[in-house]
Amino acid sequence: MFKKVLIANRGEIAVRVIRTLRELGVNSVAVYSEADRSSLHVRLADEAVCIGPAMARESYLSIPAIISAAKVTGADAIHPGYGFLSENADFSAACHDNGITFIGPSPKSIQQLGHKAEARKMATKAGIPVTPGTKDIVSKDAAAQAAKIGFPIMIKAVAGGGGKGIRIVREASQLANEMNMAQSESKAAFGNGDVYFEKYIELPRHIEVQFARDSHGHVIAFPERDCSIQRRHQKLVEESPSPAVNKKLRDSLEAAAVKLAEAANYVGVGTVEFLLTQTGEFYFMEVNTRLQVEHPVTEFITGFDLVREQLLAASGEKLSYTAGHTVPYRGHAIEHRVNAEDFTRNFAPSVGRIEEWIVPGGPGVRVDTHVYAGYNLPVYYDSMLAKLIVWDQTREMAVARSRRALEDFKVKGVHTTINAHQLIVENEAFKAGHTDTGFMGRLLAPAEPVAAK
Amino acid sequence: MDVKTLTKMTKWMETTDLEEITWKNGDDKISLKLNNNPEHSATIASTMEPVLSPSIGIFRFARPGKTNHLKEGAAVKKGQELGVVEVGKDFKSVTAHSDGLLKIISIEEGKPVEYGQPMFFIEPK
Repeated sequence: MFKKVLIANRGEIAVRVIRTLRELGVNSVAVYSEADRSSLHVRLADEAVCIGPAMARESYLSIPAIISAAKVTGADAIHPGYGFLSENADFSAACHDNGITFIGPSPKSIQQLGHKAEARKMATKAGIPVTPGTKDIVSKDAAAQAAKIGFPIMIKAVAGGGGKGIRIVREASQLANEMNMAQSESKAAFGNGDVYFEKYIELPRHIEVQFARDSHGHVIAFPERDCSIQRRHQKLVEESPSPAVNKKLRDSLEAAAVKLAEAANYVGVGTVEFLLTQTGEFYFMEVNTRLQVEHPVTEFITGFDLVREQLLAASGEKLSYTAGHTVPYRGHAIEHRVNAEDFTRNFAPSVGRIEEWIVPGGPGVRVDTHVYAGYNLPVYYDSMLAKLIVWDQTREMAVARSRRALEDFKVKGVHTTINAHQLIVENEAFKAGHTDTGFMGRLLAPAEPVAAK
Repeated sequence: MDVKTLTKMTKWMETTDLEEITWKNGDDKISLKLNNNPEHSATIASTMEPVLSPSIGIFRFARPGKTNHLKEGAAVKKGQELGVVEVGKDFKSVTAHSDGLLKIISIEEGKPVEYGQPMFFIEPK
């Protein structure tokens, strides 16, 4: 095991990692920007060093500054958290070149799985279903290709990304027209008019499988997480297990994650994301080669400490469980991301001083946060204040616990999304477990026709 | 009112619980306010300008192969390189912001520095 670990991150995840390090008797080093001098991770770590100005580009995203901080403090490993440099192959390589262990997969794994087309190829090779679509650019015989995939389809710009450059076509009669528009649009927006087709999945669920693999070849796939409640591709609520997944489907999802981890010779923890259709088919979407924000729901139902598994895998030790690919779980866990946003004003960011901060507690409640009363929210970083995670024996009981915990959560000084979460847990469809990626759209604009987007 | 009277008055005020006093005589008006807040009265005015580290790293008085015999009390020019901070293979220049006298050197050769750490204090001319 490592002697001293530097955490190349801030906020709740830095605090989260420090806690496991302390339990394992490993010294921790916090790094911080000028704007984060009074952040909790700075106070909790055994050591802390200022690495740069507020702008992340010159602090949390600066590879030379972070490597230098590790050398100055004598850290033998770096935990990247999530976001910032966590999925940066150059950073993983820079750590290696400087004799520091990167707590995450190899640069090769990050490149292979982080590159969407590469990851898709690897998944196909491993026999994991991918969204049906054309492999190459579509120019001629568009009608035949579209028919082969089956409507509805998406026309996607080759140069697009992040939800941009996508047109949905529901019928063959619209194809020619939409095709022309997509080509000229992407030509104008990206300077490249090339497009390809992909099957459009109507109101899917976002299902993901957490896996862990050590250098001895032991792999664990954990029960799936359902992260369908999203707003503009940002997850708001995550739960595990998914109310839409039965034992048989769970087994196939877990088997797919194990196969992919083995095919990539992956060492560390990662997550495979899938789209689950209303009729129960799943398609590979992408791999996240890092710890995820929503990892606590998995920890709550399985009793694992995923940061500890990361540390074990990175230090060349065995995972804490080597008796099989699957692990037993118990009950149901739900996570609510509490952000400093005003949901009545279209989730506008809210900044200021936290005047009052009373977090819920009691049975089955966990709060991961870096915030405290009197804390001034810096404007430079993301708006997440805390993650509220609840556990109970059944989903129904867990929802009731969420309702109670959200009511106990008192914040003054900034607007928070606590009331948006209260709206979610009171919603009948949510209570019944009927969620999909269109849930938030319907909740916030009930007058909008279903599947308008 | 002369300075002598003012001093006397201030001394007297300090022996009382008074925090503020206003004295009027025709067009003359004077207000005295005692600053008993230790946080404020402890402020030390300094004319020295600190030179802060531009980066985390290791401090060197000179770039590799060069020498630099900087001493406290030396005259420095605006823009003069006082040393460098080694960050990986990169050397970030540490320069004086104004002409003046180098009063304090608060860093040693080869020591780690944080971003924003004061390393020199210059008394501007």
